[in-house]
Amino acid sequence: MLMRLEIKKSGRVTVVKSLENRMDAKVAVDFKTEIGRIVGKGDRWIVFDVSEITFVDSSGLGAIVSSLKMVGKEGDLVIAGAGETVLSLFKLTRMDRVFQMFATEKEAVDALAGS
Amino acid sequence: MNGKIKLIIDSDLSDVFLIGLSVNRICLEIPVSEIDAYQIEVCVVEAVNNTIKHAYGSEKGHEVEVLIDMDVESITFHICDTGKKMETGKKPTLEFDPEDRENCPEGGMGLFIMHQVMDEVKYSSSQGRNVLALTKHF
Repeated sequence: MLMRLEIKKSGRVTVVKSLENRMDAKVAVDFKTEIGRIVGKGDRWIVFDVSEITFVDSSGLGAIVSSLKMVGKEGDLVIAGAGETVLSLFKLTRMDRVFQMFATEKEAVDALAGS
Repeated sequence: MNGKIKLIIDSDLSDVFLIGLSVNRICLEIPVSEIDAYQIEVCVVEAVNNTIKHAYGSEKGHEVEVLIDMDVESITFHICDTGKKMETGKKPTLEFDPEDRENCPEGGMGLFIMHQVMDEVKYSSSQGRNVLALTKHF
């Protein structure tokens, strides 16, 4: 199954928004492939907008971590719009200390644009 | 509220979400928060995913059973398979340095999450049938 994503550029920042509401083993590989494609084009400042996501499991979280590693030290992948439930999984696994987390896409884009 | 239900899916990761949705909906009927209901759903999904990947080696065509047993003070999920037994050992940890991105874990978090969220996590295996029991008290 191909993960439905909306991708747009805002200056040097690429915003990747999930249109799926579940980020799990079913879509994890697709997500990594898409991030790999974006990074392969040289775009390393990525906002992952998770505002539509209501369920993430460790497969989904692992895919996001893998994607963060893909952007390397010359970029960043940050999270925008995490709801309370999704945020709870980041906190449970301490991944909220790995990723910069923003309430909105705009805040995330502004932060990466000025980095 | 008391009750039992058995859910069965094929060992196909594409169908696991159906278990998750069912668990989440059932959890809305017990006195736990929305976040707890979500985290319980995650635990059961993690257990089913592990069964498919490890007990059945990601091979389709095998049954994964989830028995849900609810009473007035707890809910228990028995995730059952007839595949390869899980190696059990010490309680899992998730230790990593958040500042060290390159070494952040990309997998192996499922059992840790289950132990953090559920009040009891028990594994048993007998006569070719493996059962992971997850219990939450409320």
